[in-house]
Amino acid sequence: MRKLISIVLTAVMAVASVLAFTGCSGNAGGEAASSFKVGAIYINSKNDTAGYTYAHHKGITEAMKQCGLDPEKDLYIVDNVPEDDEKVSQAIDQLAGDGCNIIFGISFGYLNAFDEAAKKPEYADIVFSHATGYLSNDSNFNNYFGRIYQARYLAGIAAGYKSLALGNNEIGYVSAWGTEYAETCSGINAFALGAQSVNPDAHVNVYEIYTWGDQEKERQAAEILIDTYGCCVIAQHCDSAQPQIVANEKGVFGCGYNSDMTKEAPESHLCAPVWNWDVYYATAIKAAMEDHTTFMTKVGNYYEGLNAGLVGVSELSANNEPEAQEAIDLATDLMKSGNWDVFSGVKLSFSGEKGAVTMAQADADLVDNTGAVIVAAGGASVDDGVIQGSMNYYVEGVTQVNSAE
Amino acid sequence: MGNFHLVRRADYSIKRVIIYYLIGILISLSIGAILLMSLNINPIEYYSRMLSMGLIGNKFAYKNVESLIKIFVPLLITSLALGLAFKMRFWNIGGEGEFLAGAICASVVAFNSKGMNPFLTVLLMCIAAMLSAGLIGLAVAALKVKFNTNETLMTLMLNYIMLYVIKYLGDTKADWNFFLREDSDRPIFGEFPENAEMGGITIGFFTLQYSLIVAVILTVLIYFYIKKTKQGYEISVVGDSAATAKYAGMNVSWIVLRTMFISASLIGLAAGLATSTAGTVSDSITNNVGWTGIIVAWLSKLSIPAIFVTSILISVLQYGCRAAATQYPAIDQNFADILQGIILFSVLVTDFAATFRIAKREEASNG
Repeated sequence: MRKLISIVLTAVMAVASVLAFTGCSGNAGGEAASSFKVGAIYINSKNDTAGYTYAHHKGITEAMKQCGLDPEKDLYIVDNVPEDDEKVSQAIDQLAGDGCNIIFGISFGYLNAFDEAAKKPEYADIVFSHATGYLSNDSNFNNYFGRIYQARYLAGIAAGYKSLALGNNEIGYVSAWGTEYAETCSGINAFALGAQSVNPDAHVNVYEIYTWGDQEKERQAAEILIDTYGCCVIAQHCDSAQPQIVANEKGVFGCGYNSDMTKEAPESHLCAPVWNWDVYYATAIKAAMEDHTTFMTKVGNYYEGLNAGLVGVSELSANNEPEAQEAIDLATDLMKSGNWDVFSGVKLSFSGEKGAVTMAQADADLVDNTGAVIVAAGGASVDDGVIQGSMNYYVEGVTQVNSAE
Repeated sequence: MGNFHLVRRADYSIKRVIIYYLIGILISLSIGAILLMSLNINPIEYYSRMLSMGLIGNKFAYKNVESLIKIFVPLLITSLALGLAFKMRFWNIGGEGEFLAGAICASVVAFNSKGMNPFLTVLLMCIAAMLSAGLIGLAVAALKVKFNTNETLMTLMLNYIMLYVIKYLGDTKADWNFFLREDSDRPIFGEFPENAEMGGITIGFFTLQYSLIVAVILTVLIYFYIKKTKQGYEISVVGDSAATAKYAGMNVSWIVLRTMFISASLIGLAAGLATSTAGTVSDSITNNVGWTGIIVAWLSKLSIPAIFVTSILISVLQYGCRAAATQYPAIDQNFADILQGIILFSVLVTDFAATFRIAKREEASNG
């Protein structure tokens, strides 16, 4: 009896595989060459409605429309791919097999698999583009990320005005990680410097939750920052809107992340640093559509900020102090001009009433919270490599309230 | 409840089993079709892409077949190993943990193997994986034999312990941690040196990995081990009744220890092969074979040839679901998983219905 089952099942299997193989020999390459196809590998679901994957998915689909492509037809996605070389390689093989001309990987841990795939001769015609990584080659593999710290500086300005108006210098910051990751660390520092440009006494209390996303932990962290440390503004670098929802419940204020969280926290949200990923994706797709061989000379490793519109702050809500918008505009223009950047030996300060806000620049040491000088007064900004990779200290006025383990 | 109860069908008919299975698959596919249509997707198109595993019109179909084999081999070996333990009525649900232990130890060898002979490296990786996983299995069996501990709980908990061990290795940047990529500021698992990567026989573009050959030979060996050897016979006697085995003069404790060591070290072997074909390690290296293997073993009624076939079918199902999902913007991996779950569940239900029937209590008691 069992033999019979196995025979029947084997027969089914055989038929299926015959179907598969006749199909592939018949069709191979036929329809693939007709149009440009975009491939994407996501860490979470493509149907997410908020968070990191959502932001990238929105960026890719919008960029495709700008380039005259139809995301319904020309976009191939493998989602929920963990940071596991084997599974990422499989996803790449799948997308390459589907005929994708450019493949985006949005998570840092896809690094090895992208590096390996780009080396393969059979994939020489495919452009590999990897977010948040640091590897690349000369022909078909780049990395991309943005100066989100600039946007955090702007959000810091809004928070600084709020703390000044409330007469409370304590600001809270719920962060996925602390000094272990340059990405979170530079964000915290930029936010603190932004707040201090308005309120020199502003003090940022960091609560680290040791994970990129966990709604319960995000919630608890915000509660502790408000109840125990008396924070009047809650900023965040984590996936969900929970810290903002807590701020709203407890009647304090907050700056979200990734999307305008005013809809989750209508009474309390000020503004959120956001990514406009479509700016990069449109650039990359256009370049790859024109000629994939010149991709690395035209686009190369991409690291842009406010100047390109890749990052920004969401529209300021009515909860903001009246001066915030003008100050943010002034700082934005200055950073766009390229004459000043956040981690330099020049500090900005804002003063004046609404309608007459002025911005002053003064040379001052950039000092970490142990008192060590990072950039001497008047010095140039720290290297991009530091901001992206090796920054592992907090600036003056920042304290991590839970132990750094 | 009262009036109805379950009775095992006396007449086991293969025809009925097949018909029931087909009905089950049909029902699950219809449920899926309704879901698909509600998302404005043509179910026939979707299913044909799923069954052909997206190989139709694929520029690199051979690579996708290679990937399929990479999914299939660990699943097959793990299912065989679990089947061995289940035959003895030893509930080893620790496939995940044993696999991870094997993967970690294989990687220890791999990361330190620079410049070694490739064959020797892979062999050493497999031996390290088998020993480490086998010892875990042996420890659980020893506790069972000595103190009559609950092996289900023990193996289950070990899954989580091993999972956190590998997560710790992957998250901890330190000088001693050779598992991680050195040039990265953020912790990320490194790649094995080339000599630790599984080779294969190249046919045109396609590479037939040696791991597949090992797995097929292993299937045959285990088949003969169970059917033709004294040890294999002892396993089934202990499984049927430990008391009978004892009465027949068998050393039950020894048999349990031995079988569990073999079962766990086979899972370790699967892990050794899997890390070598992957060329790296990660906390998702198991691809859930410790869990899926349980389903495969039971669907196959612990028959070795059936395990072989079922493993192929489940791998095709897994791979096909994933392949089909990439092409449709509305369908994410979660949907593919749901569909896969519905199919497996209906097959299990129909399998149950084919083995048991509902009878009125009067029939049994008043007769």
